[in-house]
Amino acid sequence: MSDIRDQEDAHEFRVEALSLWRITFGPLIWALHFVASYGAAALVCAKASAGAVEALRIGIGVGTLLALALILWLAVRAWRQWDLRRDPEWENDKGTSEDRHQFLGHAAFLLSVISFIGVVYVALPALLIGSCA
Amino acid sequence: MTRVHPLPTAEGPYPPTEEMLNAPVPEAEQERGAKELRAAWKTPEGWRYVTAVNNSEVGKWYSLTALAFMLIAGLLALAMRVQLAFPGMTFLDADRFNQFFTMHGSAMMFLFAVPMFEAISILILPAFLGARDMPFPRLSAYGYWCFLIGGIFVLGSLLFDAGPKAGWFMYPPLATKDEGIGPDIWLLGLSFIEVASIAAAVELIVGALKCRPPGMRVNIMPLYAWYVLVVGGMILFAFPPLIAGDFLFELERSFDWPFFDPTRGGDPILWQHLFWIFGHPEVYIVFLPSIAIAAMIVPTVAQRPIVGYSWIVLSAVGTGFLSFGLWVHHMFTTGLPQMSLGFFSAASEAVVIPTGIQIFAFVATLMVGRVKLTLPMLWIAGALAIFVAGGLTGVMLAIVPFNWQVHDTYFIVAHLHYTLFGGMVFPVIAGVYYFYPFFTKKLMSEKLGLWAFWLIFSGFNITFLPMHLTGLMGMPRRVFTYPESSGWGWLNLISTLGAFIIAAGFAVFLYDLLRPKKAQGQIARNPWGAGTLEFSHDIPEEAWGARSVPHIISRYPLWDQPKLVERMDAGRYYLPDAPDHQRETIVTSVIDAKPVHVQRVTGPAWITILAAIFTGGAFIFPTFHIYTPAIICGAFAIVCVMYWLWTSTARPPKEEMREAGLGLRLPTYASGPQSVGWWGMWITMLGDVTAFASVVFGFFFYWTARADFPPEGAAHPVGLWVAVAALAGVAAWALTVAARETNARGQVALARLSLVLAPLAAGAAGVAAWAAVRDLDPTSHVYPAILWALMVWLVVHLAAGVLMQGYCLAGSVFGKLTPRYDADLRNVTLYWHFMAVKALVTAAVLGLAPGWLT
Repeated sequence: MSDIRDQEDAHEFRVEALSLWRITFGPLIWALHFVASYGAAALVCAKASAGAVEALRIGIGVGTLLALALILWLAVRAWRQWDLRRDPEWENDKGTSEDRHQFLGHAAFLLSVISFIGVVYVALPALLIGSCA
Repeated sequence: MTRVHPLPTAEGPYPPTEEMLNAPVPEAEQERGAKELRAAWKTPEGWRYVTAVNNSEVGKWYSLTALAFMLIAGLLALAMRVQLAFPGMTFLDADRFNQFFTMHGSAMMFLFAVPMFEAISILILPAFLGARDMPFPRLSAYGYWCFLIGGIFVLGSLLFDAGPKAGWFMYPPLATKDEGIGPDIWLLGLSFIEVASIAAAVELIVGALKCRPPGMRVNIMPLYAWYVLVVGGMILFAFPPLIAGDFLFELERSFDWPFFDPTRGGDPILWQHLFWIFGHPEVYIVFLPSIAIAAMIVPTVAQRPIVGYSWIVLSAVGTGFLSFGLWVHHMFTTGLPQMSLGFFSAASEAVVIPTGIQIFAFVATLMVGRVKLTLPMLWIAGALAIFVAGGLTGVMLAIVPFNWQVHDTYFIVAHLHYTLFGGMVFPVIAGVYYFYPFFTKKLMSEKLGLWAFWLIFSGFNITFLPMHLTGLMGMPRRVFTYPESSGWGWLNLISTLGAFIIAAGFAVFLYDLLRPKKAQGQIARNPWGAGTLEFSHDIPEEAWGARSVPHIISRYPLWDQPKLVERMDAGRYYLPDAPDHQRETIVTSVIDAKPVHVQRVTGPAWITILAAIFTGGAFIFPTFHIYTPAIICGAFAIVCVMYWLWTSTARPPKEEMREAGLGLRLPTYASGPQSVGWWGMWITMLGDVTAFASVVFGFFFYWTARADFPPEGAAHPVGLWVAVAALAGVAAWALTVAARETNARGQVALARLSLVLAPLAAGAAGVAAWAAVRDLDPTSHVYPAILWALMVWLVVHLAAGVLMQGYCLAGSVFGKLTPRYDADLRNVTLYWHFMAVKALVTAAVLGLAPGWLT
């Protein structure tokens, strides 16, 4: 019989405490990238000269690459946590620490994928549209 | 944080073993527990019934009130359809037509769609979680009474021909220049309800995070709880910008501060931004909880676990985020830069991906399961069909050039009704059929249900499908009539006929919902064969929620844990009794739902109703520009809330530990992050900070949008006073932290001294902030006006912080707050962490930004 005070998973628990937040890191990067792109475009179009638009587009491009790199890094970590290759079980529907751990990895991985697509979408206008007009 | 006397923690065996669960509970023990619980959870009778705060009662009132408001708003729509049936009708005049469409939209959104989510969640979330009640029952009751008062006030204005008439989004300058009191009713009445919505969101988030049954880790909690978390979070970030907008708008209406007046530097576009930063997430705020109902019904209908649980979590969280990147697609014709429009167009297309994924997950579940076509499933099927159609026109509208083409035509009306009927109305009705046995212990009629479905489904399509065409042919929204030569007459006539078919369907549904069902006898406990905990409910009804709080190890415990219900009924699990006749529920850890402590929850009270009435007064009197009674009401509302907190929350317990069942002993008091109050504060402050950020956004928005911000040669705030405000604000924060630390170490005198000095520092900060802008005239230009608005915002929050410090000081003096039992002080310190940030940001905007910007 195990006791509630047993802290065998105390270390793991600390990692997981971050994990519920971690599944939102991907979308958070999307949100930051979105707000920064929109804010920069609004500022440049309102205050700067027409020539600054090129600088804006390059800036958004660099920001996009940075955001995508970060999301990829998160996705790789989440993929490892999901651990699909060692444990090819998709549902993770048991009330165990292991399933909870892998589930959070799975969710974080999927959210990284959607965030990656979202960032690419948001960057497209800067790629395709050359002026504020 | 060193504590002289640390609080005890949980002790005893956990998780329970099979032998422990197999041991029978003696008959006498079972009877004693049931008797005690019945006494503790007794619903007040007679005229005291209105004092009930139990989630089952408040949830029922809340849902029925929202339904009533929806029916009224529906009747308004019928009247408009009659007016539009033929060209040149005179059934409604232009002014009344304006009031009706404004109120139809406002009521459907603010008085039906969002409150309905909260109502249903308050009603069923605790049951999904096997919890006894929500963590703050009196807060739900308070929210309900605010909603009722505010809703009657707003809708009642129509009877006096004084309703708002500028459209549900109240665009300035039309709404700011409106001579009547309509816009004030809208702004103040709905702000009041928004506050109640945020209260419910806080309650639901804390409920889903901290009130799950032992063992229900995040990977096995019902999908509904995931959706509640996401939607609660969205409410926290979506409603505050609107509240900030309302704040600026009402300052303009009442005191002529020119936030939206271009002749004095203002900009009506700011309102559009603030409104739609709320308004678009709002669409998903009503859609996600409804689709959550589908996520509960589909597995039951398919008699198998949902396919792709993680994918649905992804879809809920992903939609929650992406839906904040869409707001400008309501503003494509306002002349923003092309590139900015492109960002929002892209995000609008991207949100389709997660939205689509959940629909595919449902279809997949239905395909691999053995589907029984029940009434709830029929409504879900109708919902999916209609929603997909609405989603497709949404994809079209996300494309900027097409959007320009159909802007402000009936195409938009058709699109938004397809998304809202498919995404909200149909799933909610499905939920009513599905959960009806749980709410009322009766079943609704199969035959009437089929009638209602086919009437509403066909009526809906007859009404709204032609509107796509009406819109493409050029009929603008919000016109009260049209000439015969337009050629839209026949389409409008079809729409009107359809509207009456919808109404007939709702009449059938309503009759079936409310007719007495005495002849039905006792129904089966789990009539649909569902796998989730709500169908472990007691028949006949018991007010205690769960007889004992189970240990959960599966997503579908009623399917996978065979003896679960039997053991719950016997009181084999946790909290099977109530020795002190106190209402309690079990609080668990966020990720793994390990039992943490036993939380006392509050019982029936008049004080919540009183508090709501006074809060109502504080919002309603200013509508008529009567300020003294409003201030008195506000003061009484504060007194009521403080009385209720003082008498019934975080009181030092008689016994430190409680035998919680199965050998587990749990503490009866928690402080800091362990306690639900701390979580409530933390989540509330996220919303509050968002509103503050929206006002600050306003400042910088003016700077980008207007060349004359700040105007040439404008007077600026007095630097010295700004610096004093920042320093005194930080000092008040530091003293509060010092009070917490010294109190925890047992140095009570020092803690009290800090709590005497802290409000003085806070007061000094407020006075200094006022002195900094005192000489500026807020009616002259938007620049001084926004500085004044920031100052007012800061001072109001400082005042709240001072009250909290005083509350803790009184607690320390009168023995409510001790070095050991210091939950209040920890919550107040958390408030002050946010307060310090707000003081510094306000000081930076007041003192530094003018220097950078000019």
